[in-house]
Amino acid sequence: MLEKEWILALASVSFAAVALLFQTAVSWGGGRKDHSVRAGSPLRGVIYNFTSAMKPSHKETARLHLVKFTVGVAMHLGILTAIAELILLIVDPSFEPWRSVVLGSVFGVAALCGLYLFVRRLLSATLRGISSIDDYVSVLLVIGFLVFAALEELGVVERSAFFICSAVLFFYLPLGKLRHAVFFFMARMDYGRRLGHRGVYPPKCGKVPPNA
Amino acid sequence: MSDDAVSRAARDALRRAARGLGAYHLNACVKCGLCGETCHIYRAEPVPENLPGAKASEVISFFRRYHTLLGRLAPFLVGARSMTAENLDDLVETVYGRCTACGRCGVNCSVGIDVGTVIRVGRNILAAAGKVPANLQAVVDNQLKTGNQMSIEPAELKETAAWISEDLRLEMGNDEVTIPVDEPGRRVFYLVNPREVKFFPLSLSAAAGVFHAAKESWTISSRFYDVTNYGLFSGDDNAAAEITRQAIDEATRLGCQEIVLSECGHGFRSFRWEGPNWLGKPYEIPVRSILEVMLEYVRSGRIKLDPKKNKDRVTLHDPCNLVRWGGVSEPQRELLRLAVADFQEMTPNREQNFCCGGGGGMLSMSEYGDRRIGSGKTKADQIRATEAKIVATPCHNCADQLLELNKHHKLGVEIQAVVELVYNALL
Repeated sequence: MLEKEWILALASVSFAAVALLFQTAVSWGGGRKDHSVRAGSPLRGVIYNFTSAMKPSHKETARLHLVKFTVGVAMHLGILTAIAELILLIVDPSFEPWRSVVLGSVFGVAALCGLYLFVRRLLSATLRGISSIDDYVSVLLVIGFLVFAALEELGVVERSAFFICSAVLFFYLPLGKLRHAVFFFMARMDYGRRLGHRGVYPPKCGKVPPNA
Repeated sequence: MSDDAVSRAARDALRRAARGLGAYHLNACVKCGLCGETCHIYRAEPVPENLPGAKASEVISFFRRYHTLLGRLAPFLVGARSMTAENLDDLVETVYGRCTACGRCGVNCSVGIDVGTVIRVGRNILAAAGKVPANLQAVVDNQLKTGNQMSIEPAELKETAAWISEDLRLEMGNDEVTIPVDEPGRRVFYLVNPREVKFFPLSLSAAAGVFHAAKESWTISSRFYDVTNYGLFSGDDNAAAEITRQAIDEATRLGCQEIVLSECGHGFRSFRWEGPNWLGKPYEIPVRSILEVMLEYVRSGRIKLDPKKNKDRVTLHDPCNLVRWGGVSEPQRELLRLAVADFQEMTPNREQNFCCGGGGGMLSMSEYGDRRIGSGKTKADQIRATEAKIVATPCHNCADQLLELNKHHKLGVEIQAVVELVYNALL
């Protein structure tokens, strides 16, 4: 019985990986050569954009919305950990999970964070106004994934249930906004590279000035 | 154009704009809604339509419709919209009237999306569809037809240069000071904002004074001297390329070795960074801002400054296109520290500065005038907090907006170009 769910999970992760790779290649489209003479280091720009630029001290959206920012980070850390566990289980079906209360709690807290963001989207008129069905479906799938990861970790549900839930998420992942899982990195890399090329990043003043 | 033709042209423009790295940004928005306070327009008018994420989403909705699977099969699921004439009309106010493409939301975006570039994709689409606001398009047309945005004839330019030179000779007590026009073989080809020629000659005069003091070999052209490029704002890359080409060809024709740009935020970004890409090849001639050149004069001892000659407190407004998009943030600061006695930074500044509200071509679109002035409140508050008497800004567009903010918010300040303060401080 588990073999079918294992195949399903493997197929979904493979589908997501291939589809995202395809989308990335199409988006790159051969790239765009920058003909301007550079004034800074694109590499340093990328490094800055993936490190200091993401700290609340440097990023106003994080600084002004520290709770939401922290909730978002917690949810994503939980997702990444759950994905790592899923991949471990796919690679080695005989792998026995740790049945760790700590890991189960991490997934559970991440699921609660996802629920908070879902409810916030429902309650905020501004967010409702810019949201499509995809925005709700995506976060619900993520919450489901985290809940099943937590329950599987705690031994409450069978691994097959976790595989099925994961498959639903991964088959949907490249289709909606969840593809930001890849495009987050691509966008941030591109932006950092461009601002590094122009000498904007890293900032020359050494520290980012405080917010008004 | 028929509705079909409009839709086709817009889709082609989207395809061109999305090809390459632009598509990364169009695929990455999660609509987290945290970006509101980063936008000067949203801060002044906090309605959902002004949320940067909402503005970007409008452009992205078209991308999803034609470039994603779910957008093609079930557009309602992902909020994808077709490029009908009506939907494109809706986009006009969003990308031209609710956004100056200043990029502040981008550098603060929780994901890292270059929202300014996404907005410009929207402008690319509308330019192809012939839906650029009429007043903005008129500026682009002027530049293409006459070589400058204010349609100033070469004879008028020469006449203006002559009387500014005359005044400067009297002021400096030196008969050799002049504004050279169409002089071949000079080292520097200087591009100015037509606003300097038409309404505010002090900055051109000051630049001439600084060039003279530094013993620079320079000239302007009577035909192509405009540093501005409203193709950047309209989203018409072909027009922007042509405007760039005119100036580059003129510098080459005159045999100059370097192009120096007057204080103009979007002019710097256009010529320094976007121009080579619009033309599809690198320039054969280097381009610098006059700020960088003046700092070089100071460092090499070609000019000397006395800060006591500018006694009043001076603050600095960072033009978005020069600083956040252009990377020139320090030369103006170094110059001001050397040229004025009391320099006070605004907060925040540099790549975190707030747009004055006049960027993105907003000054040319009178239909959005009230929003433009209203959105400048954040900048007015920043200026007031410094208690400065003079606001220096290396951008003529910003200067125009700051002049209006000064009146509207009763700030009681003077607006000056950096070169004016440097000229005042010359020893």
